[in-house]
Amino acid sequence: MLGEFEYLLITAAATLADNAYGAAIREEIEATTHRRCSMGALYTTIDRLETKGLLKTWMGDSTPQRGGRAKRMVRVTSKGVQAAKEFYDAVMRVSRGASWAEEQTGNLS
Amino acid sequence: MTRIAWPLVELASKLLEPDEREAVLGDLLEAKESAGQALLDIFGLVLRRQALLWKNPQPWFAGFSVALPSTYLLMHVSVSVTATYERLFHHRFCASWPTGHEGFVLLFCHFFLLMAWSWAGGYVVGSASRRTLWVSVALSALACAFCLVTFHVEALSRFSSFLFVLPAILGVRHGFRSAHLSLAGASLLAVTVTVLMIFAWTHQALWVLNWALVLPAWYLVAAARRSRQEGPTGSWWPFDHAPLSSAFARKNH
Repeated sequence: MLGEFEYLLITAAATLADNAYGAAIREEIEATTHRRCSMGALYTTIDRLETKGLLKTWMGDSTPQRGGRAKRMVRVTSKGVQAAKEFYDAVMRVSRGASWAEEQTGNLS
Repeated sequence: MTRIAWPLVELASKLLEPDEREAVLGDLLEAKESAGQALLDIFGLVLRRQALLWKNPQPWFAGFSVALPSTYLLMHVSVSVTATYERLFHHRFCASWPTGHEGFVLLFCHFFLLMAWSWAGGYVVGSASRRTLWVSVALSALACAFCLVTFHVEALSRFSSFLFVLPAILGVRHGFRSAHLSLAGASLLAVTVTVLMIFAWTHQALWVLNWALVLPAWYLVAAARRSRQEGPTGSWWPFDHAPLSSAFARKNH
């Protein structure tokens, strides 16, 4: 099963779709969680997920705003989608009946 | 980011793999990070990368099972070979020297063994864990310093303890560059070393702990065997498939 940060990363990459790369994923995670995402955590987690076959990465284009540096593009694999779905389902199931979940979404059942 | 600080960030990023450096520097520029934050980000990533490497057995094996004990033993062998050489060729002798009855044949045998042990040990250290080579080298230097402080043989130069250094460096260089070693070559080396060690042992001219020095030679046989089974891209680690570095770095290098 995925870890919390792994799930956040996969979800951010899936949301960004063709525009998923290091800086964009980091920005997405920070905007969503309101917490700082370190470069170390980001890239070591991307590596770990790629080793598990949940992500695929490759060197992409460079842009002037990046000083001509290439991007490390990320794509979620079908195995990654499945793993994220399982994590999401587990969180939803375990949250049933929890007061904070009902406050947010009403009765989940 | 200031023009003064950016070269510092670029310098720190040299600790990363080329492709990762490219992506990280681009991300930092795009995010308009301050120089201090960029340096923290890079050092944090480098630290995490190093920490991850130590989850695998290879760095422990290269540093603590090969580099550290081999250096200690090879320094003693170097002194012993020098002392025997001085006794046989220059007729100098001190009672404290680690030499006694050895003749020219055993001197040649020990000299060959010293070269072979050093080269094979260096090769294993260089090939088993390239990204933590600096730790293995530091451990070797620690063993050297320990021996220099605690172990001094009168009338012999301190340099006599370092005969093993040159072949060991050559071995590290070969191993680091993944120079191909054929199974036949590795087997010949291991068998020759073992036969010569048995010869020295039967003539009471081998310290029992020196048997540990035969292991790197046989490790090379195991590694060459695995390399032949897996092809030129196969790992030199003969025991399992644990990654040496990040999946991305392995994929791109």
